[in-house]
Amino acid sequence: MSSGKKFVSMSLLTFIVIIVLGAMWGHHSPADTTGPAFNSLGNYPKVTTNVPVGQAGINALGSDTGHLGVSVNFTWTLMTGFLVLFMQVGFAFLVTGLTRAKNAGHMMMMNIAAFAVALLAYYAVGFAFMFGGIAPIANLGGVTPLTGIFGHGSAGVIGLHGFLLQSGGSYDVGVMVLFLFEVVFMETAGYIIIGAVAERISFAGFLLAEVAMAAVIYPIYGMWMWGGGWMAHLGTSLHLGHGAVDFAGSGVVHATGGWAALALAMVLGPRIGKFNKDGSANAIPGHNIPYVVIGTLILVFGWMGFNPGSTLGATDLRIGLVAVNTLLAACAGFVMAMIMTNAKYGKPDISMSCNGMLAGLVAITAPCAFVAPWAAVVIGGIAGVLVVYSVAFFDRIGIDDPCGAISVHGVNGAWGVLSVGFFADGTYGIGWNGVGANSVHGVRGLFYGDVGQLGAQMVHVVVGFLWAWGVTWLIFTIAKNFMQIRVSAEVELEGLDMAEFGVLAYPEFVMHATPVHVDSNGSADTNGAPDRTVDLEQS
Amino acid sequence: MKLVVAVVKPHKLDDVKTALENVGIQGVTITEVQGFGRQRGHTEVYRGAEYKIDFVPKVKLEVLVEDADALKVSEEIQASARTGKIGDGKVWVLPVEHLARIRTGEQGSDAL
Repeated sequence: MSSGKKFVSMSLLTFIVIIVLGAMWGHHSPADTTGPAFNSLGNYPKVTTNVPVGQAGINALGSDTGHLGVSVNFTWTLMTGFLVLFMQVGFAFLVTGLTRAKNAGHMMMMNIAAFAVALLAYYAVGFAFMFGGIAPIANLGGVTPLTGIFGHGSAGVIGLHGFLLQSGGSYDVGVMVLFLFEVVFMETAGYIIIGAVAERISFAGFLLAEVAMAAVIYPIYGMWMWGGGWMAHLGTSLHLGHGAVDFAGSGVVHATGGWAALALAMVLGPRIGKFNKDGSANAIPGHNIPYVVIGTLILVFGWMGFNPGSTLGATDLRIGLVAVNTLLAACAGFVMAMIMTNAKYGKPDISMSCNGMLAGLVAITAPCAFVAPWAAVVIGGIAGVLVVYSVAFFDRIGIDDPCGAISVHGVNGAWGVLSVGFFADGTYGIGWNGVGANSVHGVRGLFYGDVGQLGAQMVHVVVGFLWAWGVTWLIFTIAKNFMQIRVSAEVELEGLDMAEFGVLAYPEFVMHATPVHVDSNGSADTNGAPDRTVDLEQS
Repeated sequence: MKLVVAVVKPHKLDDVKTALENVGIQGVTITEVQGFGRQRGHTEVYRGAEYKIDFVPKVKLEVLVEDADALKVSEEIQASARTGKIGDGKVWVLPVEHLARIRTGEQGSDAL
């Protein structure tokens, strides 16, 4: 047994022991899982002085407190929305680092153009399709100006108010806050596809994908889950747990982006040189590993808005748990991907470990509010293993995904949705989706006695895949007959920067045909490096 | 005059430069180059797929010297660039037909 393998098995063992110990201690009665003990008036800072005695004074205090609550929620939702917006930067770094220098300008332009084009499309129609029947929600106070919904009762399929933030009384501060938070979520689903279409999609084809994502694919599916649609009502209509539950969007945002990316990668075909005649995959290393790490860390930081912000209010004190669960899953995903690549390939793979961190984040996004910290570690750790096998799987079946978008967001988005159906412990979500308002239990998964919840989660996974993959595949199978969705072979070999935008990302550097530069030390054989370097001496 | 050419590991460049200064060499030209030798590069794994690094980065030095100094300089370079591991590089000596300093027009040994 080599020292590398020993390190791996010891780490795995330690990991499992920690999780088992945590699980054993996890059944002490939770102290205050939703925060009601903080909820007495005496704990609020007093904002009204000289309160008149009697009913008028009580009313004044009540009004102050209510306004304060909504103000806190506005602040929270806006600030977390700004954090999610910053994830755009992280993603731009990540995918540009994972691709070649000759396409770096094209990658960055796709990232920023996706942001602008998709935002306007979502503003025009997407937001209305998604939230036209429900916005804003109670945490953001005020009235409910968006009440247009198509589909009767628990069978809502599309929203109808809020086009251009004008129709149906959507000129409303609460609606604006909701729009800001939701539009940056849509941007996330939008930029995920860049990872899988990189280095070969034409800019025009990419813009079409962004408009389709922002106006149709994301909002309509999102409405079914978050806009009062039929999947959220599976609990009331078919008695499947609390209906499909997706706290911050493992399915709604990430799997949607990931499966759309899969459809696009299939329609576009692989990059030239990715696969050999016998079907085996070649590595096409990215040009800037530091960008990959920087991007990943920025995404982790942004995720501190993505998940905790999804309460749409800081008055829901569950945000503390949500934030911690998110970090735990991220780190568990990283560690497991690092261990797995070390075991499978001989060295820890930097970009794959980063993918593992993102996989953990994607997976914990749906269950983050419903599970205990030990479960967050398990969910994130499994995500880190899944991503390594998934990347190898898509390589084997001939689908070229330069940045691992399908594996990180599609596969682990689906895993995150399912994990709610296993690990949700019932301490949160009483009355979620209109189910069990008088019950003592919130959302519970299979391990806590609710099989129906797992059923609802499976519906979410299957319908999500069929919708996002199917609609994207359909649009682009048709579109490729009318437009050039992929650049020509000459442009692809030359690099997309000059042909598509007339400028190079790095004009003062000579582009090397060789993929990477290693220090000459890389050829040394006595640094305690794993097995692979041993081959070198014999070659 | 002779031209001493050496291809060495990039991280040994400083040692080589110091060694050449110590024997009184007045000027050196270096280039970042890539290449392979008997070992033929090496194989790595990136995101689960193997790839071959065919050309390993090296630094090429060119030093102009008097005929009598050529072997000594070659030996200095060997001593300072050697790690004993695969990929230490090579050094060779070429004859120089003509040499001039551009600023002054000095020729031959005067131009060194």
